Amino acid sequence: MSENNNNNPFHTDITRRDMLKVMGATAAAGLTGLSIPGTSNAAPPGQPNIIFILSDNVRYDCMGVTGHPFIQTPALDRLAGEGLLFENAFNTTSLCSPSRASFLTGAYARSHGVLNNSTPWTESMPFFLENLSESGYDTAFIGKFHLPGEGLPELPYLNEYVSFTIKEHQGQYFNCPLVVNGKEEPSNTPYLITELTDRALSYLDRDRDDPFCLYLSYKTAHFPFLPPKDLAGMYADEIPPIPGEVDPWLGKADGNVFEGTMVGSIENLYRRYCEAIAGMDREIDRVLAYLDEAGLADNTIVIYASDNGYMWGEHRLIGINWHYEESIKLQFIVRCPWLVPDAGGTRSQMVLNVDLAPTLLDLAGVNIPDHVQGTSFLPILSGADAPGRDAWFYEYYKYFPEDVPNIIGVRTKTHKYVEFEGRRKPELYDLVSDPKENNNLYNTSEGEALTGELVDLMHSLMAELDA
Amino acid sequence: MERQSFAKRFIFPALIVLIVAAGAWIGYHLAWRLDNRSLHDTLAQVFGILLFASVAFGPLVVYPIAYRRGASGIERVLACLVTPFAWATKDFFRMLAAFTVGESLYFYLNPLNIWLILLLTAEMAFLELVMRRGRVRRGEDVRAFSVPVFLVGVLAIGLVFALYAWGRGENVFSYYLVVYRMIFGAGAGL
Repeated sequence: MSENNNNNPFHTDITRRDMLKVMGATAAAGLTGLSIPGTSNAAPPGQPNIIFILSDNVRYDCMGVTGHPFIQTPALDRLAGEGLLFENAFNTTSLCSPSRASFLTGAYARSHGVLNNSTPWTESMPFFLENLSESGYDTAFIGKFHLPGEGLPELPYLNEYVSFTIKEHQGQYFNCPLVVNGKEEPSNTPYLITELTDRALSYLDRDRDDPFCLYLSYKTAHFPFLPPKDLAGMYADEIPPIPGEVDPWLGKADGNVFEGTMVGSIENLYRRYCEAIAGMDREIDRVLAYLDEAGLADNTIVIYASDNGYMWGEHRLIGINWHYEESIKLQFIVRCPWLVPDAGGTRSQMVLNVDLAPTLLDLAGVNIPDHVQGTSFLPILSGADAPGRDAWFYEYYKYFPEDVPNIIGVRTKTHKYVEFEGRRKPELYDLVSDPKENNNLYNTSEGEALTGELVDLMHSLMAELDA
Repeated sequence: MERQSFAKRFIFPALIVLIVAAGAWIGYHLAWRLDNRSLHDTLAQVFGILLFASVAFGPLVVYPIAYRRGASGIERVLACLVTPFAWATKDFFRMLAAFTVGESLYFYLNPLNIWLILLLTAEMAFLELVMRRGRVRRGEDVRAFSVPVFLVGVLAIGLVFALYAWGRGENVFSYYLVVYRMIFGAGAGL
């Protein structure tokens, strides 16, 4: 394994081949029933069960375990307490459809082709669910799909396929019409998130001989971030941690006009956003409780992530789309009892949405296809000191009517550099001394010393993806 | 009523509101740069209210002045639309930073502008009826109530609420995007 020089933010000697060697060994240990020293459980025999839960536009800091001042997320806190909280998980494109396609394929937007929420999914590459299905998994996709196109794509390998197409595939929180295994059905339960959990539990409860992989994709907390009725108003008396640059009219100004903040105060909308997250957490608790009752917790990996973050006024912006940390940083928790020796711990290594697919395939002992551009993070689960990536490429493709131009960039452990199509000047931030990205170092003396190498690194990473 | 000069009956009333809106816009965008949070909040609130009122309720000032100065119906309507059009044009230039001229022009038709036009239409209809009643009280020979004007006002305000009530505006927005894609495709700009 190449040595990591932590003093040089641009050092990228860790190659994908190196990572593949390590993760192969880890997977072999898992599949042969060997346990990692220090873990509480022996590895399950054969292929483990998989549950991936995806939320929508949930900020990294909106969890109890990340120190939010009032939000209550006991299920997510439990998951982190029994697993690992990743402190530096990111999407590679801060927009719903591209990020979701990256989770499913393990590839960047420039490769899978879903550049924004309008570019149709053309089935250019398989989802990891298909690879798992071919290796003997019973697979299910339940929830928000949101890859653009006419209707839902046929995914014949799925044993259960529940989603929705209403409102540009966004669905609606109450009384959402569903498409269940190709047929339109009304929902049984008024609140969509509860309905999806009911169907997920029903799927998990089936008799089966094969391992299962459940992809459970919630609409929470996308606009209009509606909580279940019994939780509406639970945070009415709380003071939202809104940044200082926010004023009462920000949600109605300029590029924020289509973020759902035209009506009502930002404070009240933020509270509602948190209430919706609390409602989702309650549903996740049902899934965890089921695993306990069914005796499946010890042989099921549970991964929870958000597809994007969300900006609530930082840089005078509401929503996603931008390259700032609040928009690109994800909630990311992994519970894997047989691989994690330090349950309740954290991992600081940078992981990406494109890493999910290779990780799950690695876990299942399935060959990772060539189109996958992410890296399995199984070695990182097994050891806090496992090497991670030093830098990664970021891209964004404009999406009407968001006034965000095309963006390319690079993020290292300590710095971020981005370039914009058009007249907007590049931005360079020292994320250690300026975590809020308020001080653009581009064209400063400090920035000039870094810009050249960061630009080269960005283009190098981009070239690797296009190779 | 005496028909005054074009400057007095059209330009002056339109400019009053436009200048207030422009000043409020500048003041609002400067206010947040103040270190004093209380002062920032206060100024942002004042300028925000002025800006919103100018754009959305400007006819309450423009229409009566133009009416009393003898502006024709078309002139009154156009004078009321000067500030909202300037507001929409400001967004046109904002969108040009990322999108083509065609796409930026399409932004004029976004649902928020449609709602604004409907609101302004309702205001102008209401004001037309109010101004007519005033003329009747002054002894002028004019019909106070106009059914077409009344219906236009009711329809406009009804649509404002109905279109929002229809899925909190999401449905209208979805159709706006459908038409966008029909014209421009995915618009990723590669």
